[in-house]
Amino acid sequence: MTTPLTLTPGHRPDGTAVLKAVGEIDMSNTDTLAAALDTTADPLVVDLTDVEYLDSAGLSVLLARAERIELVATSLLAPVLTISGLTDLTTVHVLD
Amino acid sequence: MARSEDAGRGPLTAGAGVFAADGEVGPDLAVVDWAATPLGPPDDWPQSLRTAVSILLSSRFPMWMAWGPELTFFCNAAYRRDTLGRKYPWALGRPASEVWAEIWDDIGPRIDTVLSTGEATWDEALLLFLERSGYPEESYHTFSYSPLRDDGGAVVGMLCVVSEDTERVVGQRRMASLRDLGSDPSVVRTEQEMLAFAGRQLDRNLRDLPFTLTYLFEDDAVARLAAATGMPAGHPAAPPTLPIDDAAGVWPAAALARGESVLVALDGAPFTGLPAGDWPEPPTHALVVPLLQQGTTPYGFLVAALNRYRPLDDGYRGFVELVAGHIAAGIASARSYQAQQRRAEELAELDRAKTTFFSNISHEFRTPLTLIMGPLAELRTQLGDGDERVREELEVIHRNGLRLGKLVNTLLDFSRIEAGRMQAHYEPVDLAAVTAELASVFRSAIDRAGLSFDVDCPALPEPVYIDRGMWEKVILNLLSNALKFTFDGSIRVGVRCEDTQAVVTVADTGIGVSPEEMPRLFERFRRIENARSRSNEGSGIGLALVQELVGLHGGTITADSALDEGTTFTIRLPFGTDHLPADALAPAADSATGPAAVSSAAAPYVQEALRWLPADPSPEVARDAPPPAADASVTDPARGPAAPVRVLVADDNADMRGYLARLLHGAGYQVDTVDDGRQALEAVRADAPDLVVSDVMMPHMDGLQLVGALRNDPRTAAVPVLLLSARAGEDASIEGLQAGADDYLVKPFAAAELLARVRASVELSRLRNHHARWRTALIDSLQEAFFVCDESGAVVEINTAFTDILGYGPEGLPYTPLHPWWPDAETDPEAHRQVADVFADLLNRNQGSRIIPVTHRDGHRLWISATFNQAQDPDTGRRVVVGTFRDVTAEHYAVQRETALAALSLRLSQAVSLPEALAGALEELKTLWRARRVLAAVFDGGDTPSLTATDPGLRWDDLSERHRTALLGQRQRPSLTPTADHGIGVGITLEHPHGPLVLWLELGDHRPFVDQDQVLLSLLVGHLAQGLTRAHQIDQQRETALALQRAILGPSHLPDGFAVRYEPATRPLEVGGDWYDTVPLPDGRIGIVVGDCVGRGLQAAAIMGQLRSACRALLLQDPSPAGTLMALDHFAATIPGAMCTTVFCGVLDPETGHLAYSSAGHPPGILTHPDGTTRLLDAGHSIPLAIKPGTERPQAECTVPARATLLLYTDGLVERRRRPLTAGIGQASQAVQDGRHAAVDDLAAQVMTRLAPAGGYDDDVALLLYRHPAPLEMTFPAESTQLAPVRKALRGWLNQCDLPPQTIQNILVAAGEACANAIEHGHRHTPGDTVRLRAEAFADNLRLTIADTGRWKPPQPHAHPHRGRGTALMRAMMQQVTITPGPAGTTVDMHTRIA
Repeated sequence: MTTPLTLTPGHRPDGTAVLKAVGEIDMSNTDTLAAALDTTADPLVVDLTDVEYLDSAGLSVLLARAERIELVATSLLAPVLTISGLTDLTTVHVLD
Repeated sequence: MARSEDAGRGPLTAGAGVFAADGEVGPDLAVVDWAATPLGPPDDWPQSLRTAVSILLSSRFPMWMAWGPELTFFCNAAYRRDTLGRKYPWALGRPASEVWAEIWDDIGPRIDTVLSTGEATWDEALLLFLERSGYPEESYHTFSYSPLRDDGGAVVGMLCVVSEDTERVVGQRRMASLRDLGSDPSVVRTEQEMLAFAGRQLDRNLRDLPFTLTYLFEDDAVARLAAATGMPAGHPAAPPTLPIDDAAGVWPAAALARGESVLVALDGAPFTGLPAGDWPEPPTHALVVPLLQQGTTPYGFLVAALNRYRPLDDGYRGFVELVAGHIAAGIASARSYQAQQRRAEELAELDRAKTTFFSNISHEFRTPLTLIMGPLAELRTQLGDGDERVREELEVIHRNGLRLGKLVNTLLDFSRIEAGRMQAHYEPVDLAAVTAELASVFRSAIDRAGLSFDVDCPALPEPVYIDRGMWEKVILNLLSNALKFTFDGSIRVGVRCEDTQAVVTVADTGIGVSPEEMPRLFERFRRIENARSRSNEGSGIGLALVQELVGLHGGTITADSALDEGTTFTIRLPFGTDHLPADALAPAADSATGPAAVSSAAAPYVQEALRWLPADPSPEVARDAPPPAADASVTDPARGPAAPVRVLVADDNADMRGYLARLLHGAGYQVDTVDDGRQALEAVRADAPDLVVSDVMMPHMDGLQLVGALRNDPRTAAVPVLLLSARAGEDASIEGLQAGADDYLVKPFAAAELLARVRASVELSRLRNHHARWRTALIDSLQEAFFVCDESGAVVEINTAFTDILGYGPEGLPYTPLHPWWPDAETDPEAHRQVADVFADLLNRNQGSRIIPVTHRDGHRLWISATFNQAQDPDTGRRVVVGTFRDVTAEHYAVQRETALAALSLRLSQAVSLPEALAGALEELKTLWRARRVLAAVFDGGDTPSLTATDPGLRWDDLSERHRTALLGQRQRPSLTPTADHGIGVGITLEHPHGPLVLWLELGDHRPFVDQDQVLLSLLVGHLAQGLTRAHQIDQQRETALALQRAILGPSHLPDGFAVRYEPATRPLEVGGDWYDTVPLPDGRIGIVVGDCVGRGLQAAAIMGQLRSACRALLLQDPSPAGTLMALDHFAATIPGAMCTTVFCGVLDPETGHLAYSSAGHPPGILTHPDGTTRLLDAGHSIPLAIKPGTERPQAECTVPARATLLLYTDGLVERRRRPLTAGIGQASQAVQDGRHAAVDDLAAQVMTRLAPAGGYDDDVALLLYRHPAPLEMTFPAESTQLAPVRKALRGWLNQCDLPPQTIQNILVAAGEACANAIEHGHRHTPGDTVRLRAEAFADNLRLTIADTGRWKPPQPHAHPHRGRGTALMRAMMQQVTITPGPAGTTVDMHTRIA
């Protein structure tokens, strides 16, 4: 069974494309994430605030596209984002 | 005198030259007054006369001459010496008729013839009585007269050339007499005949012996005339008897009786008218000489009248003495012959008398013998179980009665044969069968003598006629004889047929008979002296009787023998009846009576033979019991009255030996007995008695030789000896005393006399040897072996105890090093070295003491405590070593045994299982025996025996073929009997609970395995067998108990998070009255029970088991602690012994930690929080079980917080004497607090250890720990789809652990990365493998372990950049990450603090 993950594309009020992820991201569903990211126009904000788990496989997908995305996440994910170096490559908005 | 002195001797004229030819006679001739003779002065002598004188004087041959009308006398020096004698020089110049006036009648005519005829004369050995010596002397001359012519040729004189023959003639005559005396043709004669013969010979020589008288001493007083020659009967000079002491007797008999010779002048009254013999005048003297007898008074004397015409010179005297000697010899011979004759007659007479006597008395003997033997048989029956001594005496009487009866019967047989009254009944028998039957009677005796017995009696073609009784005696006598003289080898009896004869042989390989003895073998009463035999007893009548009996059968007996090879007796009996008197034939015996039942006559032969054989195979000194009490009359001033006097009795006759022993024993002596002189000598040398009483006649070494041997040895020279002998007479006792015996007693003797002599001998000898004996007694009284060594270490003196302890007696002194008691250097180098060390000390140090092993003379091992001191010999000043040995063998082995047993017991008691017991015992045995290895093979019915060895891992198949064979062989032997197999070890079999066990000890090189070792090994192995049985029983009990425990103690599977411990009070049981239990309930909750029944051991366990099962069932039915306990109250009330059981019963929700519980009088549970605070679960408490069934029970609730630890227990953990329970509970709380960071199972061990009293728990203890939450344990396939559920489960557990969200997130990430790696590798290498995850929380710490079966590659960021990130993430999230790759997979172990 694939780890539950819902990806919903949308737009901010300013028109910026947003991809909202809900669930958990691990090696079983990174392909889905990657495809979703690649089918969305730039610039893109990836909203991870409802993602409860993100492992290194998911981080790799994000890192590969760091130049064209921004991230929004809760403090729960902050350590992995920081440790993976994503915070150095793109803008990460940590809520709370 | 014709010679004219007054005429003077004229001056020597020219004529003197005529006489110059001789310097001796010449001068005398010269001084003769020739002018006064018809010849005128020599100057005027014619030439013929001068020449004749010259010839005369110059000759060395005796000559005289006569010249002129008066036949004037001339002679030369030789004639003067031999013949003229005292007539010189008177005869010179005188007329010949004047010179030889006394024989002129004889020679005158001869001279006339010469002068008238001018022819010479010749006379040989003419007897002439010359008076040249002053008396008429018998002389013999051989001479010739030759004519002398003057210048004109006319015969004017004569020349006589003469040689004297007197000595020759007389000598020949005497020689002839002596020859005649010795010419007696007969060999022996009577004395009278001899004297008559001698007289006839002497009568033939009346010249030398004119008469002789032979007197013989009749007794001390009188000499009797026994013979006379030349003497008429009745002459007063020859009285028929002559009183010896009569000084006035005719002959001096007294002097002759003294052996002196006397010359008697025959003048005076009795000698008038004596016969003259062959002489004209009677003799004037007689020589009386003794008839000498060797060594004693002469037989008598010989009066020899002497030839008055001859001087009594040495020759004459010698002749008379020779005659006397001859007569004396004749008398001696005659008397001796007579004595022999008389003795022979006496012997014959005696023999006849004896035969008559025996024939008369034998019958007489039989009556009293019967009267002795009959009642005796009665007495033996009656008193068979009576007093020992009485029975012994009866046995002696019985045996000797039999022996006497046999002797009497034999003698009677003889007298019958002799008198021709032997009543024989010859019946036809199967001789082979009869003989074999008789021989069989002797088999036991021959077997006992160690001889082989070969009976070869094939049936004969026809019967032989024999008298059964006689034949019995023939065969029994021969067999008895063979046994007596055969010491090794065999005795053979054979029967065969040879032509018309039956031949019976009895052959032995005994001492044989010498050729000189052979001719007399069958003589009656003939015994071979000094023959080596089993007994000196015997009458010498047996073989003679055998010969007589065989003769009566018309048969013959012969013997073939060679010294030291053996003797074969061969009997030949004709078949048929022609040789037997018809009236003595009898028909064949009734066959119904069976063939030749051996008659009772055989018994005495066999009985006697058995008595010759030693009852005890060893010739040791037999000692009787100690004397009842020392006879007050036999006291010893040196040793005091208490010291028993020891007497050694040596006699080959067992009954005499026994009799003497009893006699002396009864008088208070301590008596030892031996069978012969040789044994006596050994016994005395080994331990000198106070007195030896010895028979003279004994085999091997007789009494006299014994005395000699004792006296020749300084150590035994002082031992007094009393000899006993059947030989009466002065000679025998002198012989005994000369040999050195102290006293001599002739058999038969009175008991009182023997005792008196024994006492006297002992006391005398005691006085003599007081000092030496005192010293010896002192030393011998030491219970320790005492010895003295010289400077070289040679043992030169020992005491009795030394011999007792080591077996080496004084007979072997000195014992030079290496002493014979040293252990053998080859077979026991260690023991040898120990002794050598002590010996070196002994020589070099002043004193010392050690315990060492030595070897007894008989080979057994002794342990002695040796102590020694150096000392100075006061006599020689030399350094000696004085020492003692004490036998500590018993102590040594006792200590060794006790030590070994204790060690083995300890090993066995420590063992909690059969294999452990056996292995431990093997180790112990290996140490004890210094063995290379010890094996134990149990034959438990498997294909090969089960092997246990001190070499771990050794299997049966690893053993060498030789070992396997030895072990299999040992298995066949009886239990507990060690068998040494030289070279590979010692084996012993014992019972193992699973089957026979062969134990095998491989001893070190040269380690001897002696008797004591055998005993010890048997003992130890016996102990081991018991120990194994016990261990086996314990094993069984424990297995039962363990099974019981498994059934009743606790659950077979504990839920996660729990740890339990159980410690039984009663070892080795592992169950008791306490228990714990966890019961998984259908709703996921867990029932928890800890209980404690009253009591301990199996009984309590049985109750506990029922309660536990009941409680478990109740919980499953109704998961309510209080309800459960209330139901249990009712249940427990039905079980004896279950009352007052305390129980803690709870129901735990492992998800939430919620706990409902109720306690029936049980100690409170202890809840320890992660921060270390504790809480007692003391609510819900009520009374123990079954006290008031039906009473409502309370129930309490609580929550076990995350990472808190719950401890439930029984009071054995905390209850201690003289200490409040709360103190124990506090201690337990502290232990859990301190261990809250440890894994729960480790904590259980810590608590048990910390709370254990010094000597271990003395009550059952049950303990249950639970830490909340229980560790998470998951196993999942290595697939990525598993990640989410795993994460979910982990997240849930982490929430139970009550952790902050970020911490949970971090742990989830780390765990996720590890799982992802595992899945990735699993996919790649071994798809379908599983991954295992475990998470465990401690008070302030959390541990995660993820293990897969694949291999991780080192991080390769370029190929898989995100993978390297995973590992980095793990390290970032957790405080410690350890990745351990291995061949079976990779394990990631991660820790993080959570407090």
